[in-house]
Amino acid sequence: MERQMKTTKEILDEKLSGQPRTPLYSPQALDAIRRTVDQWMNSTVRETDRNNWHKTPRTVLGSDTPRELLYTPLSHPDLDYEQDLGNSGQAPFTRGIHANMYRGREFTMRQLTGFGSPEQTNERLRFMLDHGATGLNILFDLPTIQMYDSDDPFAVAQVGMSGVCVDSVEDMARLFKGVPLDEVTISIVTHYPSNTAILFPMFLALAEERGIPWETLRGSVQNDITLEELIRSGSEYIPPRDCFRIQCDNIEFIRKNVPKWNFITINGYNLREFGTSAITEMAVALSNGIEILDELVRRGYDVDSTADRLAFFWSAANDFFEEIARIRAVRRLWYKIVKYRFNAANPRAMLMRCHVQTSGVCLIQEEPRNNIIRAAYHALAAVLGGAQSLHVDSYDEAYSVPTEEAALLSLRTQQILQKETGVTDVVDPLGGSFYVEALTHDIEGRILDEMEEIERLGGYVKAIEGGQIYGRVASYFAEQQRLIETGEIALVGQNVYQSEVEGPPINVFRYPEGVEAEQKARLQKLRLNRDSEKVQSSLSALKDACLKGENILPYSVACARVRCTEGELFKVFKEAFGLWKPPALF
Amino acid sequence: MTKKIKVLLSKLGLDVHNRGIITVAKMLSNAGMEVVYLGNALPEEIVSVAIQEDVDVVGVSSLGGAHLSLGSLLLKEAEDKGLKDRVAFLMGGVFGPSDGQRLREIGFDGVFLPGANSEQIVSGIKNLV
Repeated sequence: MERQMKTTKEILDEKLSGQPRTPLYSPQALDAIRRTVDQWMNSTVRETDRNNWHKTPRTVLGSDTPRELLYTPLSHPDLDYEQDLGNSGQAPFTRGIHANMYRGREFTMRQLTGFGSPEQTNERLRFMLDHGATGLNILFDLPTIQMYDSDDPFAVAQVGMSGVCVDSVEDMARLFKGVPLDEVTISIVTHYPSNTAILFPMFLALAEERGIPWETLRGSVQNDITLEELIRSGSEYIPPRDCFRIQCDNIEFIRKNVPKWNFITINGYNLREFGTSAITEMAVALSNGIEILDELVRRGYDVDSTADRLAFFWSAANDFFEEIARIRAVRRLWYKIVKYRFNAANPRAMLMRCHVQTSGVCLIQEEPRNNIIRAAYHALAAVLGGAQSLHVDSYDEAYSVPTEEAALLSLRTQQILQKETGVTDVVDPLGGSFYVEALTHDIEGRILDEMEEIERLGGYVKAIEGGQIYGRVASYFAEQQRLIETGEIALVGQNVYQSEVEGPPINVFRYPEGVEAEQKARLQKLRLNRDSEKVQSSLSALKDACLKGENILPYSVACARVRCTEGELFKVFKEAFGLWKPPALF
Repeated sequence: MTKKIKVLLSKLGLDVHNRGIITVAKMLSNAGMEVVYLGNALPEEIVSVAIQEDVDVVGVSSLGGAHLSLGSLLLKEAEDKGLKDRVAFLMGGVFGPSDGQRLREIGFDGVFLPGANSEQIVSGIKNLV
């Protein structure tokens, strides 16, 4: 794979440093302010504050970015409105990807749903739609995520827990019964490139069977190597290079055949929740994004007509202003990367579109109702940052998957934001804030610095293979644990303001019984009824495509049509690519 | 000189979330225990390795909801292989206090809820062994 010899930071420095700038604040104003600030520092500001001017908030999943006591124009004196901000919908898109943002299109309320059998999840999906959800977001159970059939020995006693079980296109049909696939936007959370290449074809085969053209389908898949190779714990991995190849096969196929579908939601979220900072989360995601675009260019595609459907997936955690500033920072940075590193011309290809999920790790078990407040702050930050779509974690996060009541509350959190606060009537309301602009600028630089480290290691896939990213993440979460235990990170109800008295208990979701048995019976029936010759020949053709380097998706769709099961396709991947052993975690 | 406490740690079943168990592995190692980390495993393998490695404690982690279903299979396997009486079984992960209570009722010697800190875990283990 050809690799750019210059790092992104070097390229951007080169291309942007010559550009003429028109500072927002006049030199006279800055001089005058400098004088008054000096005077104020000596006469009004306390000595202890003068000596501790910068303070770093200690928060769950926060970065090490220090903050001033008070921000003034001096904090970011060379701010240039046109170069650094632009208007919304205008390069560099700091203020928003569209001119009218939420006035034109409200953020999609897309709550995760998934548990039990496909029918049981279907019921909850319809409940959410009936109560005003504007998008679906489907989460699978662990056997399905890890690509084992519900009757695989590995799946024992885990079917239908923490997500919905899907083994074949017939389960997809049950899952989406009564859901108009061409009218609702559907996020199908296939975390990995491998399970995306298995499960999304089942969805496509279903659409076909229902007479729904693929061109009308709207939604997203996750399809991220980070999830498959870096942050999940599993028993069997295919090598990172092959996983990356599948990630790009998925992108290539979906771009061509399902034009309104978001073929990747670059992580982001799960990496952060695994345990890393606001900065590293974005540096990793952008490094992945760059490597993907490099590969697509190598395959003969042009960035202008492929990057426009690329999307990102961020978390929103406790440090309120950091969460807002970093979404603005990454929006500006991604624009610069696509324009200056990839020489794109289509503005749509330069937009950092994103889904945000509020942080689960920030929601603790003690006094669970406090989490409603935490999640509300997270959601507000995401909206002030300009997210396109939102999921709000529920207050019973530290107990189980959400009860119906908790899931509804999450939806209401979003609806109240959207309908009652007036926050969405103004685009980028914090734009121009001395604090927010300075912090946005600072964070952008830090993200770029961390990207440079990854690039100097040989790029993202190399850094996964070598274990360096993992190493950074592992030290981060070890440090987080230490900070929580010393109390430097305060958690209300856990290490500060602990209650003597236990509050009223909450209802905890109970997984329905009998799902595993039912699913096993269905699989047995499926295997009897399908054409086993067609199954064998389609699996064999898939394996060939794997080995020959052809795009595997058409073959996977063919498998889905004839009722191949997920485990059967994963087996083909394992046979074709072999198993990889990740660097030891401990 | 006392022998080091030997602990086998494992992700129970297919659960993908291993931040907690890795953190615990380091906690125990820093506290002077010998830690064997198995990664993802089913009850049969966990018990078999526990016997092979002659451990004092087996600690499993479950954030995927299968703590009771797989947890009970683990304890049953441990009993069948005569391990239940010789080794302490601990469970950590994401589940509520009432499930925690239930886990103790079915035979887990120790249960750690989200938010458990190193002091609680380390002393919890030392008290059991």
